[in-house]
Amino acid sequence: METIIEVDGIRKGYKKRKSKEEFIAVDGISFSVRKGEIVGLLGPNGAGKTTTIKSICGLLVPDQGSIKINGYDSVKERNKALRHISAVLEGNRNVYWRLSVEENLEYFSGNRGMRKKESKERIDQLLELFRLEDKRKEIVNNLSRGMQQKLAIAVALMANTDVILLDEPTLGLDVETSYEVRSLLKHIAEREGKTIIISTHDMAVVQDLCKRTVIINSGKVIADENVQHLLKLFETSAYEIQLKETLTEEQLTKLQHQFPIYNLHDLTLEVSLEHEEAIYQIMNILSLNQTGIETINRTQVNFEQVFRRLVKEEAVS
Amino acid sequence: MSAFLQVLRVNTKKEFIEMKRYLPNTLSLLATFYIIFLALFFGIQVVGDPAEASSNTQYIIVNYVFWYFAMMTLQSTGGAITMEAMRGTLEQLYMSPVSAWRILLARVFGMVAIHLSIMVVLIFASMVTTGEWLHLNIGAIIPILLLTIISMIGVSFIIAGISVIFKQVDAFLQILQFILMAFAFVPLSVAPYLVFAPFVKGVDMMRHVMIHGYTLGDFTWVDYSWLVGNGIFYAIIGVIVYRSCERLAMNKGLLGHY
Ligand SMILES: Nc1ncnc2c1ncn2[C@@H]1O[C@H](COP(=O)(O)OP(=O)(O)OP(=O)(O)O)[C@@H](O)[C@H]1O
Ligand SMILES: [Mg+2]
Repeated sequence: METIIEVDGIRKGYKKRKSKEEFIAVDGISFSVRKGEIVGLLGPNGAGKTTTIKSICGLLVPDQGSIKINGYDSVKERNKALRHISAVLEGNRNVYWRLSVEENLEYFSGNRGMRKKESKERIDQLLELFRLEDKRKEIVNNLSRGMQQKLAIAVALMANTDVILLDEPTLGLDVETSYEVRSLLKHIAEREGKTIIISTHDMAVVQDLCKRTVIINSGKVIADENVQHLLKLFETSAYEIQLKETLTEEQLTKLQHQFPIYNLHDLTLEVSLEHEEAIYQIMNILSLNQTGIETINRTQVNFEQVFRRLVKEEAVS
Repeated sequence: MSAFLQVLRVNTKKEFIEMKRYLPNTLSLLATFYIIFLALFFGIQVVGDPAEASSNTQYIIVNYVFWYFAMMTLQSTGGAITMEAMRGTLEQLYMSPVSAWRILLARVFGMVAIHLSIMVVLIFASMVTTGEWLHLNIGAIIPILLLTIISMIGVSFIIAGISVIFKQVDAFLQILQFILMAFAFVPLSVAPYLVFAPFVKGVDMMRHVMIHGYTLGDFTWVDYSWLVGNGIFYAIIGVIVYRSCERLAMNKGLLGHY
């Protein structure tokens, strides 16, 4: 499949307001996205996700590196590049609260040069899909947070672009609305063959929607993998060990030293191991103080654990 | 070009929808300015020379409606940019394949249209109140007004650019009110160098038309050169300043509300 977005070594620093020193928010990020892919952009707070997305959207000019959208440079051929993308950056803050649902949709599409007749048709289509028909004339201010969020996504879809970027689309939504938004996005991706990039902290979004995820931390890509692969990779080596008694300082220090990524609460020790034999090293540590083992289980990993482990590992190395 | 027509259509529509939806705001704005006018009018009655009361009143009407018009158009532009940057809609506007300055231009056209309409209401209200009737020679007013508006749009662009970068422009806009007041009230005969300032020449010519009954033929080519030159100069400066601010904003990440 053809590549539609090519992010090549972008770097972006912000000058701190007071000290004037530069803070590097994105430090040489590269990845590419093929047509029709749904890619999750993950990373802890401040990792540089929004900066990356805004650079792709042409709202930020990277200090170094380049971004191509359908072959067009996001800076030098900005307007051509923008014809292929639309975005939901701040969810419900991206729409006019004093205009109605319909007025918002018409306004933003008109600003992209869409004719009235064309936009009417698309509005009908989208309102039906988003189940917002009966809110058509409602002022956005009077809508619920979830409906505003859906409207913001509908606004991005109005333009019918190949690529849609979403920055934390389920932020602040309740479980049900978040589910609805996820299924809408899934529908759009499958039915309309859109390429979607989503930044999120919501692991359900990743597990539900994304085939692939690019994980960034401190402005660098630390993993770029198929989601299923990542899960498999970690599945084989995640253990949950139920202990009989608490560990001593000495044991903890050793554990910390050999297995930086462990999790201990009460008597449950969770470890991820690089290879299966490492389990014996754990046993060695436990036997130092004749700590008894109640049970050992391979755990079912979910994406959240994988993500946390990757980020932790990165921090340690 | 056809894309720009759509942009123009939706932006004008948006301005009018908001004006209608917030009619109480619009009306109280109108009332405030009408009261300011009354204060000026009665002030002149008290302190002014009675022999010149009539022409003084006419001066006041013309000066204050243009003051209103310039001030509101510029404030609306600055206010809109500031608010949209804080809300997050500004970034959406910048994601249109139609360049942002064109969208801004369409928006300013919408604001000009609205404040021009209000200005017409104010003129008539003032004339009815005072019984002083100005020369409303449409054939002369429209061309001069359009050329005057060009330089005002240029200044709007400068304000828009500054707002994108600094966001908090309220204090600046307050000061601007007084500068604009000077531009609208001080006649060129008193301060000839003001001819370099934006739209002062235009307002001066409007005074000649509306108070002294000038027609287009009564002005010299020097007058027109100043008027046109002033418009072109501020339009060009406006777009240059705005685009530089825009580029700076994209480099520094200032389009959002970070
Ligand atoms: N306009 C800006 N000016 C100065 N610093 C900024 C600006 N935007 C972002 N930063 C800083 O750059 C870093 C990366 O920010 P960014 O918003 O890209 O992170 P993020 O991954 O989206 O985080 P979050 O999950 O919190 O949204 C942060 O440390 C942030 O403080
Ligand atoms: Mg973010």
